[in-house]
Amino acid sequence: MDPALSTDVPTGRAVAYIFDGLTRFTADAKVVPGLARSWEVTPDGLTYTFHLHSGVKFHDGSNFTAKNVVSTFQRVLDPKTKGGRGWPLFPIKGAEDFAGGKGSSINGLAAPNDTTVVITLKEPYSIFPKMLAMPVNSIVPDNAGSDFGQKPIGTGPWKFVEWKHDDYLKFAKNPNYFDGPPKSDSLMARIIPEMSTATAEFEAGNVDVLTVPDETGKSWQADPDKSKLLQSAPALRFWYVAINTTRGPLADVRVRQALNYAIDVNTILSAVMAGRGAVANGVVPPTLPGYDANRKPYGHDVAKAKQLLTAAGHPNGIDVDLWAATTDQSPRLSQAIQANLAEAGIRAKIVQRDASSVREAARKGAADLYVKEWWADYPDAENFLFPLLHSKNKGPGGNVSFYSNPKFDALVDQAHREQDEAKRNALYAQADSLQFADAPMAYLFFYKDMYAIQPWIHGFAVPAVFSGQRWTDVTISK
Amino acid sequence: MLAFIVRRLLLAIPTLFGVLVVTFLLLNVAPGDPVTEMVGERADSATIARLRKDLHLDEPRLKQFALYAGGVVRGDLGNSYITQRPIIRDILERFPKTLLLAGSAMLLASILGITLGVLSARAPGGWFDRLGLGVAYLGISFPVYWVGLILILIFAVMLRWLPPSGYGGIKYLILPAFALGSRSIAFLARVTRSAMLDVLGGDYVRTARAKGLKERAVIVRHALRNALIPIITVLGLDFGYYLTGSILTETIFSWPGLGRYVVNAITRRDLPAIQGSVLFLSVVFVMVNLLTDLAYAKADPRVAYS
Repeated sequence: MDPALSTDVPTGRAVAYIFDGLTRFTADAKVVPGLARSWEVTPDGLTYTFHLHSGVKFHDGSNFTAKNVVSTFQRVLDPKTKGGRGWPLFPIKGAEDFAGGKGSSINGLAAPNDTTVVITLKEPYSIFPKMLAMPVNSIVPDNAGSDFGQKPIGTGPWKFVEWKHDDYLKFAKNPNYFDGPPKSDSLMARIIPEMSTATAEFEAGNVDVLTVPDETGKSWQADPDKSKLLQSAPALRFWYVAINTTRGPLADVRVRQALNYAIDVNTILSAVMAGRGAVANGVVPPTLPGYDANRKPYGHDVAKAKQLLTAAGHPNGIDVDLWAATTDQSPRLSQAIQANLAEAGIRAKIVQRDASSVREAARKGAADLYVKEWWADYPDAENFLFPLLHSKNKGPGGNVSFYSNPKFDALVDQAHREQDEAKRNALYAQADSLQFADAPMAYLFFYKDMYAIQPWIHGFAVPAVFSGQRWTDVTISK
Repeated sequence: MLAFIVRRLLLAIPTLFGVLVVTFLLLNVAPGDPVTEMVGERADSATIARLRKDLHLDEPRLKQFALYAGGVVRGDLGNSYITQRPIIRDILERFPKTLLLAGSAMLLASILGITLGVLSARAPGGWFDRLGLGVAYLGISFPVYWVGLILILIFAVMLRWLPPSGYGGIKYLILPAFALGSRSIAFLARVTRSAMLDVLGGDYVRTARAKGLKERAVIVRHALRNALIPIITVLGLDFGYYLTGSILTETIFSWPGLGRYVVNAITRRDLPAIQGSVLFLSVVFVMVNLLTDLAYAKADPRVAYS
């Protein structure tokens, strides 16, 4: 639970309980002030001045000051920390050099007094305040050593109490939390690897809130007693099939469009995912600004798929590899997709490996098609458009379609610099339409999270971003 | 005896070195990249290159192996790539829990399995023997994850007698120990039965009965003692497997043992954690085998080691 080392979802959740960033996410995917009371940005979009809360204390009683912000960001970027996630801070002037071992400080980072932090960016980056709410940028005290992750100390609503590895995490209310203490006294996160066991724990009444697996969700929705306990909300999670645009016939846009027409997303969504999602018409989810409701999904049209394949010079269809991990719904999704593709004459061979191997192959560009899911780190359309499709991010950066379109890049770059929110959202929509026509992926659906909540729990809201629920408003009546 | 133990321990060294080499080679041949797992879904190439260098993953294989083996010889299993904690601390924290689970499963299995086997052997072909055969077939045929889920369903969800999962007092131990031990109960019952049938036909059993010993004494002191060798073999082998391979049981019952640690390490490509655990478990396996051999000598004075 060391923020500087947090690159995965479970760690990110726990970090959000114990720590604060300068900004934070709400359950409904808004970005609100955190340790920073307010901030302003110069008209050129380069310099941000953050005004911090004063009198905030860490759980160990030490004072939080602007110096902690500077040292925290240095720690995240310091090569000695061996963290894997410096990129959210790379927009800061000098940050990337510092992370590369060049220079002993970060030029763009200054703390003129205890309650002010001034950050200078190397170029305008309008969504920068959102990135500061990511778990990795949570503020830590000065004495954070290498074992910090075992005994984390933050300023957040919950104090760390105990971590029994592979068993549970325990937190206690921070009565002095600057934003008002949590309404409950303690919080416990059980670590249960097997979903059927977790479901049993919920049914036995030992677990208060449960993320419901897809199959269970279907049967519980049909059960009048259980369905009362279910709560569901669109998550910033996107399922798609990355199409490697550099491999063989897939380099032809007509073939990629044919793939999209061949897949019956509606049926897959209801049969495999218990209807938990909304068919995608691009990469920007309906809950975020920049979404264009007028754009139609490709839709299921086998004749059109065949026609496009023939036009592309493949009247007898094509052969492709369809890579999928062994986890979650990937195996079932890939089988359904394989059957759909076969109807249109696309012979897909499923390559099923463990998640790490599939990811590695896709990053190297060795996979034709890759069924995958993307969890947003921050609630902004940019978090879908830029990592998944900008040519800068080919391979490890997240663009495993190896999509490269200078016009698309230019639009996203322009959005990065655009300070006006309405204009920026228009640019997002435009970029999304552009890539949608190029079809560097087969668009599946935006997932909906489903939670089961015991009747004695009140005030829980399903978060859109995984780190957006901090349990401060949750109460128990039992 | 002491010379025997020392010789066996010395012989374990090349075995363990072999384990070290094979694990290292397999992990290097297997697909998947540890750095990919460290950096998460979105990363930049400079960070990836820097981490590879830090972890010596850009060095030639032979040098990587030398670095690792050198550490092992000095008693250093390295640090986890993901949490950066020393591997040995992670292992020592989890192994006692695996030991507790495996030990309880074996205890349960020996009590139930041997009793079942002895009672079956007393009247071969009788109703109890047939019942025992049925139970044994079920125990051997049902996979442990199925048994585990059914136990949770019945005893935790429907009857609510026991908690479904987790780690704590004895009530948390009963279901996983039973699930893990179910195969051994069945297997031990069969082995005990046939070993008992072998010895019950022996002259010394007839003599014991002829001199008027109670049936109970005949069975326990004379027959069972002589039937112990195959039983010890099964116990030793199964115990070794339970200590090293209770992964499914630990996952289903959320038991925070070493099996789950290894699985997590594998999915996250945490190479030092995988190598360290495999090496540690090999040591455990060698030890259990040695103890089994010593138990033979204890059970049967004709077996002598020198």
